[in-house]
Amino acid sequence: MKAFLSDVEIQRLAEQNGSPLLVLDCAQLQKQYKSLQQALPGVDFFYALKAFPNDAVINSLKQMGVGFDLASSGEIEQIRQHRVNPRRTIHTHPIKKDKDIRDALRFGCTTFVVDNIEELKKFRKYRHRVGLLLRLSFQGMTAKVDLSRKFGCAANEALHLIHRARQMGIHIKGLSFHVGSQSASPDAHVDAIQHCLDIMAQSDEPLSTLDIGGGFPVNYDGNTVTIEQFCAPIRTALEAIPSDINVIAEPGRFLVAPAVISISSVIGKANRSGTTWYYLDDGVYGSFSGRIYDHAEYPLRTLNSTDVKPCVLAGPTCDSIDVIAENILLPEMEIGDLVIAEMMGAYTAATATGFNSLDKAKIIVLNEVAKENNSALMQKKTYSDKTVNIDTAVTFH
Amino acid sequence: MSKVWSETLYDAYGQTFSVDKIYFESKTEHQHLMIFHNAVFGRVMVLDGIVQTTEKDEFIYHEMLTHVPLLSHANAKRVLIIGGGDGGILREVCKHSSVEHITQVEIDQAVIDMAKEYLPAHSNGAFDDPRANIVIDDGIKFVTESNEKFDIIISDSTDPIGPGEVLFSSPFYQGCKRCLNDNGILVTQNGVAFMQPDEVTTTAKRLAPLFKDHSFYGAAVPTYIGGIMTFAWASDNNEYRNPEPDTLRQRFEEAKIKTSYYNPEIHQASFALPQYIMNALKDIK
Repeated sequence: MKAFLSDVEIQRLAEQNGSPLLVLDCAQLQKQYKSLQQALPGVDFFYALKAFPNDAVINSLKQMGVGFDLASSGEIEQIRQHRVNPRRTIHTHPIKKDKDIRDALRFGCTTFVVDNIEELKKFRKYRHRVGLLLRLSFQGMTAKVDLSRKFGCAANEALHLIHRARQMGIHIKGLSFHVGSQSASPDAHVDAIQHCLDIMAQSDEPLSTLDIGGGFPVNYDGNTVTIEQFCAPIRTALEAIPSDINVIAEPGRFLVAPAVISISSVIGKANRSGTTWYYLDDGVYGSFSGRIYDHAEYPLRTLNSTDVKPCVLAGPTCDSIDVIAENILLPEMEIGDLVIAEMMGAYTAATATGFNSLDKAKIIVLNEVAKENNSALMQKKTYSDKTVNIDTAVTFH
Repeated sequence: MSKVWSETLYDAYGQTFSVDKIYFESKTEHQHLMIFHNAVFGRVMVLDGIVQTTEKDEFIYHEMLTHVPLLSHANAKRVLIIGGGDGGILREVCKHSSVEHITQVEIDQAVIDMAKEYLPAHSNGAFDDPRANIVIDDGIKFVTESNEKFDIIISDSTDPIGPGEVLFSSPFYQGCKRCLNDNGILVTQNGVAFMQPDEVTTTAKRLAPLFKDHSFYGAAVPTYIGGIMTFAWASDNNEYRNPEPDTLRQRFEEAKIKTSYYNPEIHQASFALPQYIMNALKDIK
C-alpha cells in the first residue's frame, strides 16, 4: 500500500494541527471500495460502521451506494443524521436488547440477525414487520479476529431454527456468516458459501439472501494477497448461487484501514538497559488500541532515513501495558520527531479510550466528498426548546 | 434522480411515495416526524418511518373514528380525544353542535403546532373552537389521574412501537373506563388487521374484562396499506352497535353533518368483520 501523503505533507499537517493526528483520505477510501466491488461483482456491500464510525466515511460511502451494517442504537443515530435510506441498513448484532430492536424499527431498519432460539423469541411480537438472517458458524474459520466462537449457530441447527421460526410466524429471509476479521485465506468463505447453499437447497422456505460477512484482509505486513487474489475463489463459489438470491457482504476493515494514517510525536526518550525507549503522544489507550483489541501490527516509520536500530515505542499513559512496539528497527529520533503509522483506519479511533484524561487523536479529513445539498428542500423551523431539527428521513436514491 | 420516501413498516412489503417537497422535518424528544408533498396524496405526514395521515385520504379515518361513536351514542355532551395532534378528530367532533365540551390530550405540542401550519385543513380552525380544551400531557397519565367524565373517548394514537405504545395497554383502557360516564363509548385506532392481526387479538383480550361489549369496526384507508383499518370499540351498552337504520338516519340528518365517507349505511356495515378477523377473535371472551 502506497502512502497517500508525502513526507512534506505529513510534516505540514503536524505543524498546522499538532499531534496526535489520524488523517483520513476519502479518495483512498473510495478507491478501496471500488477495488472490492470489482473483486466481487454483483455483491451488495454494507459498511460495518463499527470499524471507524466517522461522518466523512459515512458520507463518502453513502454517495457510492454503499449500505450500512449497524450493531447498536448509537450507530443508528449516527446513520440517521446522514439521511441514509433505512432500507440500506442491516442490524447485524446477534444479541440484542428489546430496546435495540425497537430503536432499529423506529428508524426503519427491518433486517436483523439471529443465531439462537432465545433471540428468535424476541422477534415474536415484531414478526409481522421484520425479515431475519440466520447466522451460522462453521468449523475451520481461522481469521486473525475469530468470530465463529462467540456467534453463529452450527450448520446442523440451521434447518431446525428455520422450522421453529416458521412455527412462530417469523420470516427468516436468508443466511449469514462471518469468518472473522482479517481472514488469512479465502477458504473459509468458500466453504461457508457452499455449506449455506446446501442449507438453502434443503430449506422448505425460500431463503433469498446470503450475507457473506467480512474478513477481507488488508496488507499490514506487506505479504498479504491483493483483494483480487483473495476474492477470486469466493467469486467462483458465488457463481453457483442462483441469480434470484441476493448476496451481501459487510466489509469494515478492508474499506477504512488503508485510508487512514496516524501521526504522533516523540515526547520522551530514555535509555533503559541498553535499549532506547521513545514515548509518543499516542498509544494503546488511544489510536493504537487495535494493538490490544484487534491484534493488529501497524507499519511504523519515521520521516528520516538514517541507520536503524532496535528500539521501543511506548504510549503516553502511566500504564506499563502502553507499549506500541518492541524491538522495532527505527532510525535514531529526537524529541519532537514524528512517527507515522499506516493502515490505521480500522478499530483504532473506534476503540480508543479516554484513559488518563488524555485527548484522543484529532481526525483530519482529506478529499472530503461534498454532502448532497438538500437544504433548498428543507424549510426548518424549531417549535420549542425540545425540538431539534435534523435532516434525516427522506432518502434520495 | 427521483426523490422518494419508502415506508418501513414491513420488511418484505411497503409503499413508496415520490417526494415533491419537504415542508417540515424534525426529531422531537418523543418521535421523528416529517411532512412532505406527494402528487397523489397531497401533504403526507410520517412518524418514525410510518404514514400517519395524508390530506387526500384522512377524511375516511377521521370521520369513522368520530361519527360512528357519536351518532351511536346520540347524546354525547363531553368528548375526550387522546392523541390526534393533527386536529382531524377535533375537527370532526366540532361538527356536532350537540357536543358541549371537548378535551384533547396530546403528548407533544410540536405536533399540534406543526400540523396547524403544514396540515391546516386537518384541524380547519377547530383548535380555536371555544368548546375545545387542549392539554399537553401523556394520555395514560390523564385518564389515570383525571376526575373528569366523558361520554365518548377517542384514542387517535400512533403505532404501538414508540410513545403511542401505552395507549394500547390494559392500564390505559382501565383509565378510559374510569373516565367514561355510564353508557359511554371508547373507540381506538387499532391497526390494519390483515397485516398485524396481533393488534386486534391483543386489544380484544385487554378490553374484554373491562367492558360488557367490545368489538371492532373497519374502513379501508388507502395509505394504511394492506386491507381495512380496524377501530376498537368498547362500551357497557351493547345496544349501541345495532341501532335501528331509521333512527341512525334521523340522527345523522338532524346533526346536519357533511361527510365524504361516513353515512348511516356505512356505519352499520362497518361492524361486519371479515371472517379472518372473526376467526382470530373467536376464542376471546
